[in-house]
Amino acid sequence: MRGVKIFSGRSHPSLAEAICERLGTSPAKCDLGNFSNGETSVQIGTSIRNQDVFIVQSGSRKINDSVMELLIMIAACKGGSAKSITAVMPYFPYSRQSKKKSHRGAITARMLANLMSVAGVDHVITVDLHASQMQGFFGKPVDNLFAEPLIARWIVSNVPGWRGAVVVSKNAGGTKRVTSLADALKLNFAIVSTDKVRNQQHTDGMGSSMFFESLEPQSVRPVRTLSDDEAGNEAENATPEPVSRGQTCVRSCHPVNGVSGASPAQNAHGAGAPLRFVSSVPASSPLVRNTRADSVSPPQPPNRPNQVNTEPSARRPSEYESAEEYNDERAREVITGRLIHGHIVDDDYPSPAISGMSASIATLPGERHVQDAMGNPAHDPMMSSFVSTVSSLQPDHALGGSFDPAATSDEEEEGIRNPELEHTITLVGHVKDKTVFLVDDMIDKSGSWIAAAETVVKKGGAKRVYCIATHGLLGDESLEEMEECDCIDYIVITNSFPIAPHRLRHSKKLVVIDLSNLLSEAIRRNHHGDLMYEGGNCQQASSGVFGNQPCVKFIGDSNTTLTTDLSCKTYITRQAASLD
Amino acid sequence: MFAYDSLHDEGTSIGGPTKQSAMATNSIKLLTGNSHPQLAKAVADRLGIELTKIMVLQYSNQETSVTIGESVRDEDVFILQSTRPNDINDGLMELLIMINACKTASARRITAILPNFPYARQDKKDKSRAPITAKLMANMLQTAGCNHIITMDLHASQIQGFFNVPVDNLYAEPSAVKWIRENLIHVSEGGREDRNKENHLGRNDCVIVSPDAGGAKRATSMADRLDLPFALIHKERQRPNEVSRMTLVGDVKDRTAILVDDMADTCGTLAKAADTLVKHGAKDVVALVTHGILSGKAVQILKESCLSKLVITNTVPVSEEKLDALKVPDGEKGCRIETIDISPVLAEACRRTHNGESVSFLFSHTVV
Repeated sequence: MRGVKIFSGRSHPSLAEAICERLGTSPAKCDLGNFSNGETSVQIGTSIRNQDVFIVQSGSRKINDSVMELLIMIAACKGGSAKSITAVMPYFPYSRQSKKKSHRGAITARMLANLMSVAGVDHVITVDLHASQMQGFFGKPVDNLFAEPLIARWIVSNVPGWRGAVVVSKNAGGTKRVTSLADALKLNFAIVSTDKVRNQQHTDGMGSSMFFESLEPQSVRPVRTLSDDEAGNEAENATPEPVSRGQTCVRSCHPVNGVSGASPAQNAHGAGAPLRFVSSVPASSPLVRNTRADSVSPPQPPNRPNQVNTEPSARRPSEYESAEEYNDERAREVITGRLIHGHIVDDDYPSPAISGMSASIATLPGERHVQDAMGNPAHDPMMSSFVSTVSSLQPDHALGGSFDPAATSDEEEEGIRNPELEHTITLVGHVKDKTVFLVDDMIDKSGSWIAAAETVVKKGGAKRVYCIATHGLLGDESLEEMEECDCIDYIVITNSFPIAPHRLRHSKKLVVIDLSNLLSEAIRRNHHGDLMYEGGNCQQASSGVFGNQPCVKFIGDSNTTLTTDLSCKTYITRQAASLD
Repeated sequence: MFAYDSLHDEGTSIGGPTKQSAMATNSIKLLTGNSHPQLAKAVADRLGIELTKIMVLQYSNQETSVTIGESVRDEDVFILQSTRPNDINDGLMELLIMINACKTASARRITAILPNFPYARQDKKDKSRAPITAKLMANMLQTAGCNHIITMDLHASQIQGFFNVPVDNLYAEPSAVKWIRENLIHVSEGGREDRNKENHLGRNDCVIVSPDAGGAKRATSMADRLDLPFALIHKERQRPNEVSRMTLVGDVKDRTAILVDDMADTCGTLAKAADTLVKHGAKDVVALVTHGILSGKAVQILKESCLSKLVITNTVPVSEEKLDALKVPDGEKGCRIETIDISPVLAEACRRTHNGESVSFLFSHTVV
């Protein structure tokens, strides 16, 4: 491609090379090194004046060095009079620190966004941001690409009997991220949630249901806590062929949904009525089968993930109440297990010393950690003042903000390994004798994955477990630990984050999906989008850089080729027009 | 060098009258990262305060996480962070995240104390398309939320202009001058020769030498202060941290040469300069350097050099192994290392900044 220079940082050169190969070019010359005192040195080896510069940098084991390298490369390109600088960051570093986790914590992701703007970046391309709200941290356009279609395609072509599988969210917080995969594949959905033990015997009312009540009020209202066998049997007897039933429903509803299905554009633009149906889809519970049947239109447009599924269903109770009448009693099972030292234990396992726990101050995961290290436990007046049964469910918000579903997994992780604590792990949904796709956005530590896998296998009776995530950070020894866990059969990640070759070689369960196609396409489109702009087309100019965003998001879908061709044609016609 | 001479009158004596104002209600909070806790402790002791409790951790994927343990709302926050060799980027991210955490926690003012400014040597576009990383540092610090910078012996004073916030560039020179007076020559404050001190040199036995043309100003200023002669070595540099040829300008014969520079990184320059000086008949070579980074093969190079002594300040942490490796038994020849403590200067700068007193006093006076 003319007028484009693609640079590779040191964090993930193989991905950069793969991207360049797809674009029929090679990474531009650039010397990266360290001065003897450890300062990063960057020397751009080729002219970049008036060129579109793309810098490919992911995270790495030395993440701060990667970040600095990227910032300095951006600054060097800015100083070298590049026309535009785009940072291609398949994994956005510090994306988990996107909110104030405790008092006086930093919002590092926002700061990093600011730092990049200050260094001179014009555009950011990233994949599956931990929280899509982070796009708002930038003053510059951000293309948040989705790896989900690639994952879905991998499942379809590599998992035998995927139609009978169940997608399971690993934690209550990440549910939203995960429902769209279930939707795309039209699969059933379940949820696993880890919680500190509140009272030893989970009684019907307050025990486990309250937690879900706050999250998805409509879904668990008639909760019944069943013992394993009961739950298994009842579900088995009562749910003969969930998938086919779902399909039947869809078919019968087809005429109703004809409108929304036929006009994807309308959906994408969030126009009134059709969207209301769609947005009720991610009900993260066994009910989902029913509600989906009502709402999902079979010829779903390829830009599904783009749709705004976020509207909290709690705001429309009436709709749900009506749906509930047709609910399938048998699907509402809640299985709980006890989790000690990161593993599932039997019900008669002796409990560790946690008598005084319950909803006291000690249950706040982040805070407890801090205070222990500081050596003055429970000394913060701000803290103790707002602890109540309700707010103890939302420990992360200093000022008592709303429950944020985006990032609970990391805090959760800290507690799981604590031998002093007993956790209740709750499985909502039916997984017996099924293949389970355990899904979250990243795999960093292994504890919560192993706990969730053990739950679905030992308590839920799942047949096979695939751990699926976009970003395989695989910190510490987590890959090896997951490798040893009998309950996990496959670990599916993308190559957004570099994985050491020897780990890849030694791992028998790891499957890596290549993202280079997606990213190279995004680069190509961004470049040509600019050209269209230059071509003097007023309409294009007025929509500016945002104009190419929706089209970028088509990428990686099953019909990539179609959209690619389309865009080429548009480009050529526009060029021709400008020549005339 | 105006700062040295013209601003004397502005200074008040140490611990002098403190402006009592509304500012007195808030207090100094001193925070530090993992780069140089000893220096931070020394500064805190000097100020008579405790270091603010803070946790700087790394996630398993090496992302830095910061939690501040006490309230900083409406306080005057000082964050001290130096550069630990080979760990600079981690230290930098720590600093930026700490600043940002304080900003979001509603601190009244955030002052970054950077005894050694990171990336200070990348301050110009010396080659085409080279990044001006020092400028990037300046922008990043401001973006994170820094309101004020205190630093020491900037490689180029122009870096102050990269910032849109005030930068106090302190000098280690007063401390270095004091050290020379106490340890090398017997010239007292008034310029009168003090014959009482044994083993000390007279004024004509010493010469201040700058190892490169860029440091000439620094060296001449010190020579003026001590009323000593001055010499200069011109070096031709092909690549960073590598020196090729050296030419001496000035007379060092039968004198003790005092090499003055702002940083000793791999020490190649210092070693070559010392060789050149000895070749030109210098009796003894001592080096006075502000930032003793001592990275790479520095220890090896120093051991094999003709330097008899390297005097550094504690702006940059030097690992125990390096100090041990440079220990020379009494009576033997070899390069000894000595450290000047500059924590009083930093503490005084903090105190004066907090109380709204003049900092320029510190440009020319040592703190006792």
